[in-house]
This record gives sequence, structure tokens and C-alpha cells, in this order.
Amino acid sequence: MSKSATLACREQFRTPAQQRETASVGMWIFLANEVMMFGALFTAYTVYRASHPQAFDIGSADMNIMLGSINTALLLTSSLMLSFAEHSAQAGNRRLIALFLILTMIIGAVFLGLKFTEYYQHFQEHKAPGVWFNDSSPYANSIQMFFVFYFIMTGLHAVHMIIGIGILAGLLFRTIIGTMTAEYHTPILFGGLYWHFVDIVWIFLYAIFYLPGLHL
Amino acid sequence: MAQAVAEAIQKNYLNEKQGLLSWLLTTDHKRIAILYTFSITGFFFLGGFFALMMRLELLSPTNWLVSSETYNKLFTMHGTIMVWFFLIPSIPNTLGNFLIPMMVGAKDLAFPKLNLASWYVFMLGGGVTVYALVRGGVDTGWTFYTPFSTSYSTTYVVAAAVGIFIAGFSTIMTSLNFIATIHRMRAPGLTWFRLPIFIWSMYANSVILVLNTPVLAITLVMVGVERIAKVGIFDPALGGDPVLFQHLFWFYSHPAVYTMVLPGMAVISEIVPAFSRKPMFGYKAVAFSSVAIAALSFLVWGHHMFVAGESVYVAMAFSFFSFCVAVPSAIKVFNWTATMYQGSVSWDTPMLYAIGFIGLFTIGGMTGLMLAVLGLDVHLHDTYFVIAHFHYIMVGGTVMAFLGGVHYWWPKISGKMYPEGLARISAAIVFIGFNLTFFPQYVLGYLGMPRRYAAYPEEFQMLHVLSTAGATILGVGYVLPLCYLIWAWYYGRGATPNPWRATGLEWKTPSPPPAHNFEVTPVVTAPRPYDYEAMKEELQLV
Amino acid sequence: MNEPALSLKKYIFAWLGLLGLTLVTTLIAFVDLGVWSAVIEIGIAAIMASMVAGFLMHAFYETKLIKLIIAAAIIWFLVMITLTLGDYMTRGWLPFPGK
Repeated sequence: MSKSATLACREQFRTPAQQRETASVGMWIFLANEVMMFGALFTAYTVYRASHPQAFDIGSADMNIMLGSINTALLLTSSLMLSFAEHSAQAGNRRLIALFLILTMIIGAVFLGLKFTEYYQHFQEHKAPGVWFNDSSPYANSIQMFFVFYFIMTGLHAVHMIIGIGILAGLLFRTIIGTMTAEYHTPILFGGLYWHFVDIVWIFLYAIFYLPGLHL
Repeated sequence: MAQAVAEAIQKNYLNEKQGLLSWLLTTDHKRIAILYTFSITGFFFLGGFFALMMRLELLSPTNWLVSSETYNKLFTMHGTIMVWFFLIPSIPNTLGNFLIPMMVGAKDLAFPKLNLASWYVFMLGGGVTVYALVRGGVDTGWTFYTPFSTSYSTTYVVAAAVGIFIAGFSTIMTSLNFIATIHRMRAPGLTWFRLPIFIWSMYANSVILVLNTPVLAITLVMVGVERIAKVGIFDPALGGDPVLFQHLFWFYSHPAVYTMVLPGMAVISEIVPAFSRKPMFGYKAVAFSSVAIAALSFLVWGHHMFVAGESVYVAMAFSFFSFCVAVPSAIKVFNWTATMYQGSVSWDTPMLYAIGFIGLFTIGGMTGLMLAVLGLDVHLHDTYFVIAHFHYIMVGGTVMAFLGGVHYWWPKISGKMYPEGLARISAAIVFIGFNLTFFPQYVLGYLGMPRRYAAYPEEFQMLHVLSTAGATILGVGYVLPLCYLIWAWYYGRGATPNPWRATGLEWKTPSPPPAHNFEVTPVVTAPRPYDYEAMKEELQLV
Repeated sequence: MNEPALSLKKYIFAWLGLLGLTLVTTLIAFVDLGVWSAVIEIGIAAIMASMVAGFLMHAFYETKLIKLIIAAAIIWFLVMITLTLGDYMTRGWLPFPGK
């Protein structure tokens, strides 16, 4: 029995199809769980934005829309690359899988690079909350609160990105050593689900942090 | 030939592979259940030790044993350990892990390695929390209210929060495993309405845990960030609202208390039909009420915040929903009672615990309704009435259900019978000790004794002394099963595959079961679960 | 493996649509529409999220159970945010301090 076949139908399952369906249920439940985790932060953000709309707009105006929109485009493209990797996995084309996984990882790394550049900029401009914050406008406190949310939520997102790149690296390794085949490539599909989900979170983060202040 | 048969009988999940490593690296859900049992028993007695210290302190109206600062740490650690390291994992990770694959006719859970990982994660979380304890403890209360926890407390809040955060992942991993198993690994013919109620309740329980635990996780992270960075989301200096913490915390914690009682209900739903020799009355009602409890439990969290400053209108909404969530629980109580009516009831130890559960849970539930009434809550909030209410549910409910379940499935798990006479006496001691401990607390609360106070007015002393006396008796009642069950593991009388003559796929395996539960995947053809009528003849032959 | 395979074309069109919506929502944000700004921005984000979920994550093509799980996650998040906002939006309606 080939290694792939063993992986495709572990002992506790009756058929490979049952295994794949069960694993799919498990993966989506995990994503539902992640929705609730980020959801709590979105809830807190919404409560405060509803109470301090002007201050949050002003805080948002200080965001770098160029970097933000470039990052959004980058992430969306990385998701496309990953979809190509999934497509290649179904065809069993190891070279292409590896190529697209590498491209996804590179784009993810560029995203993180731009993100940390932005963070650095915020520190320079005295927008980082805590001892680094310096603002004398009447809305100073609420603006600082905006940045508290910005750093926590995008920071949590960045942590997920880093973990995601790690997961993709693991998938790349398994592709190279040959355990990802047309017969069994579920890990690539699920790694993809994770990456796409992190992309979705970013879409909402972009909407709530970068866009509100543009009209000012 | 007899030799071969004897050898074949003896090969089971316990003796299949020997050695410590075979236990620490096992992926067999039954062994993992036993690993968890060790853990939660340890945590139970640790949390119980803190309770004992508190009750001793409360013997006198003044601080005689510990200072108020230490008392704050005692009730915090008692609550933290009991909630996260005993109550939430107890029934699901021990009985649930052991029984769910067997009840659905599977060889193991959907993700056995994830199961093992969840135990290690749990132990890591427990280790970090014990570290916080040993370094000096936490004094914020298990509820970690801000701004005390974020700005003013000088104790090991972050360490405790990290420990709980890690343990939360263990819960999520287990719940995910259960949901996937119940959905996709049922034996052929085992449709949803042929499943034991245990599975329905554990399923609903797991759904709650998957949805609420991440909210706790991120809320604890926010508390930690605020403590470390000295600025954060709940910081009033930035316009933050400490009550927002309470919203997020109770969004998790209210469904969490239902995750402590639903597994208890799951166990009771198995014991009552078995010892009444009757099918579960109103099976579908009980099954759906499990799901209803899970759904409604998410709509009531504000009832912990009636006097915290939330708006009156949302308080009314939460009060209304709190009344609603009592309905499915009541439906279960009525159906269990109806199951016993005109049944052939036997008073073995599991049934004694089950009946105790039904009575005590009902009292706890009714007092919960009293607390849900806005006007009453203004008087009763943060008094001993609340403490009595939730201990009736968690101790009179969950712990008794846990003990009942352990006794009921003990023959299956260990292959031995426990000593019935001693077990019944223990159950009686637990019942008497429990009521003596906690009933006076209702009176105390009504009279105005606040919770979390080490010193109190003299007129409350009599009731406190009664309560402490009860706690001592209760403690004896808990130590006894620990002793005789361990004794029975080695020296108990051997058990047959189905000593209670109960229905359910788990009783169709030998006691103890083989490593893979079923040699051949069973095919279920019985049209109804708990079919005691149809199985009368078959069972009498066993 | 028999899960439905999306054509490469669908992926590329989804990606182009997503980039387009990003552009649209960014441009709209330059206009001050009061409270509707937030509604439109979140709304477009939600549409983009559905496209990622539906096309790139194949959610549209999954079993009913998976769709139920997705729905449950969204609904529970909405419960959390609605009741919490319900508190904050209805404070101060009565002439008593703290209510």
C-alpha cells in the first residue's frame, strides 16, 4: 500500500471519502472558531467606533492608504497563487504545486514586510499607543484607543500570517518529498482554507482601519 | 482451546500495550480518557483544598486563619481551577472521550492524534496556572473583572490568564473532534434519532465550546496586553469601558456554565432509562432541548451584569431570554421524571446520583430563575444566594452526575465492579454533606451576606458554621469513592459485558473493551434507541 | 479525490473582481456619506469575503453541513455584536444616572 493511500484512509475511517469529509468538517469548525475569536475584537471595535466616530475617523486618516491598499492587493494575489497550487495538487503536478506555494509564501512575506514598515512609521509619528503616543488634539484619548485596536487586530492578523507561512512551508516540504499526490493532497486544500480565511480577515481589517478616514 | 479463549478474553485496551510510554504516546481514546481522569481528579482535589481553607476561615466572623488578601487569592484559585480545570473538562474529556466513539460504533474519534495533543495542551495550561498559584496566586476572582485585573492587582494575573488561554485550546480541540466524529463517523443505520441522548447533549455541548472559547481567549489576551502595555481596550483613561470586558467575558462564561451542566444532563439521560428499564420519555423533546439550551445559552449573558451599568432595556431582554433558557432544562427534568414513572426502578448507586442530580439541579435552576428577575437580582447580586445557586447546579448537578457516570460505566472502563453497599453509603454522604453545605448559603444570601468576604457580621456565624460542617462531610463523601474505586480497579469483582442490562452500543463490547472497540463495524437496525421492550428477551439471556 | 475542481478561469475572474471591489470601496471612501460610509464599506467587505469564501474556498460547492457551520459562525458573531451594541445604544434613555 503506497504511503499516500495509507495517509488517505487512516485506521479509524472506513473509506478515504469518509476521511476527507470528516477532515473537512473539522477544518471548517476550526475556521468558525477563528471567526468568533476575531469577532470579539470586531465587536469591541464597533462599540467604541459607535461611541467615538469622529476620533476614529481622525485616527484612520493617519493610516498609510498606499501601503494598505497595496497590501490588500498582495494578499488577494497570494490567495490566487494558492488556488493555483490547489489546482495543481488536483492534477498531481509537484513542480507547479511547489512553485505556487513558494510564490504565495513570498507574497505573504512581502505583506509582512510592508506591515512592519507601517508599524515603524507609526512609532516614528508617535501614534503607537502607550508611552510612545503623543497627540495634543482634543480627541487624543480616543485616537489612542483607535491605535490600540489597530495594533492588536493587525498584530493578531500578522501572527496568523506568520503561522500561515509556516504551514505553507510544511506543505512545501511534504510536496517536495512526494507525499502530496493527486490521490491525497488534503493538507494542501486545508492549508489553503486557512490562508484564504486570513485573507478574509484582512479584507475586513482594511475596511475598518484604512477607509474611515479617507474622506477627511 | 480454553487457554486460547482465556487469552482472547484478556486482550483489551488496558493490557494491549504495556509501559509508561505506551500510555503517554497513545492515540486510543479510551486511554486518553484515563489520562484525563488522573488530571481532573488532581485538579478537583486541589480546588477542593482551597474551598476547605475558605470554609475554615469562614467559621469565625473575623479573619482568624488567613488575611483578606489571602482569602481573595483562595476564592480566585478555587474558582479558576474548578471551572477551567475540573468542571468544563470533567465529563466530556473523561466519559465523553471514552464513550462517544463506542456509542456511535466507531473505532476511535475522528482525529486521535489531536485527542492526545489536547491532553498535553491541557496539562501545559494546568502547569502554567499552577505556576501562577505557586508564585503567589491571583486575587481578582475567577471573573478577572477590569480595571482591577488590568490596572490595580499586583498578583500573577498574566500567568493565570496564559494558563487558562492554553487550556482553552485543549477544549476547542476536543470539541472539534467530538463534532466531527458525531457527524461523520456513525455506524451504518445509526441515524440522528437513534443516537443516545448522551451523544445529543455532548454534541450540543461541543458546539457551545467551539463558539464561545475563542472569545474568552481573545478577551484574556486583551487583559494581558493592557496589563503589560499599561494601556488598552478597557482603560477608562482612553475612554475605554470596563463593562465591555464584562460583556465579552460573560459572552463566553454564560454558555460555559451550560457546558458544565449539559454533560451532566448527558450522563443522567443514560442512567435514568437504564435503571427505570424504560425508553426515554419524549426522546425527541429531550434531544432538541439539548440543542435549544446550546442556542439560547448565548443570549443571556447580560444577566450577570444587571447592576453593572448596562442599559435597562438590554437588561430586560437578557432577563426575558434567561427565562426562555430555563424551559428546555425544565423539559429535560419533566422527561426524566416521566421516564421513571411506571418504570421498574432500581436504586443502584448511579441511579441514586441521578435522582440527586434531578432534585438538586431543579432547585438550582429555580433559584437561577429568581436571579433572572431584575428586581430580585438587585437584592441578591453578589450575595451568597448566587453562590448557593451555582453550586447547586455545578456540585449538586455536575459533580453528582460525574460520580454517577463514573459508577455507571465503571464496569465497562475497568472490567471490575465497585462495591455497591459502600458506594450507596457514599452517595448518601455526598447528598447530605452537599445540602448541609449549600442550603444555608441560600439563607445567608437572602439575609445579605456578600460573597468574597472573609469577615462578616456576627449574626451570620451560625449559618456559616453549618455550611462548614457540611463541607467536611461532603469532603468525606468525595474521598470515599476515590479510595474504593482505586481498590475496585485492582481487587473488584470481574464485570460482565453488560452488568446493568442496558441498551447502547458500548454495552455490546467486552468489559473492558478491546483496543479498537469493535472488530467489525456494527450495523444498527433497531428502529428506536432505549428499546427496552424489544430487548427484554435478549437482555435477560445475558 | 472527487471534490469539485474550479476552473482556473473562475479563480482569475474572482481575483479580478476582488481587486476591482477593493478599488471601488477605496474610491467611495473618499466621499463623505456620513453613517452610510461605514455601511457601504463593511457591505463591500462582506461581498468580497463571500467571494473569497465561495470561489477560492469552494464554500458554494460544499456539503450542507459545511454551509451550516459557516452560517452558524456568522450568526453567532452577529448575536454577540448585536446584543453588545444593544447595551451601548440604549444607555441613557432613562432619566436615571447610570441607566
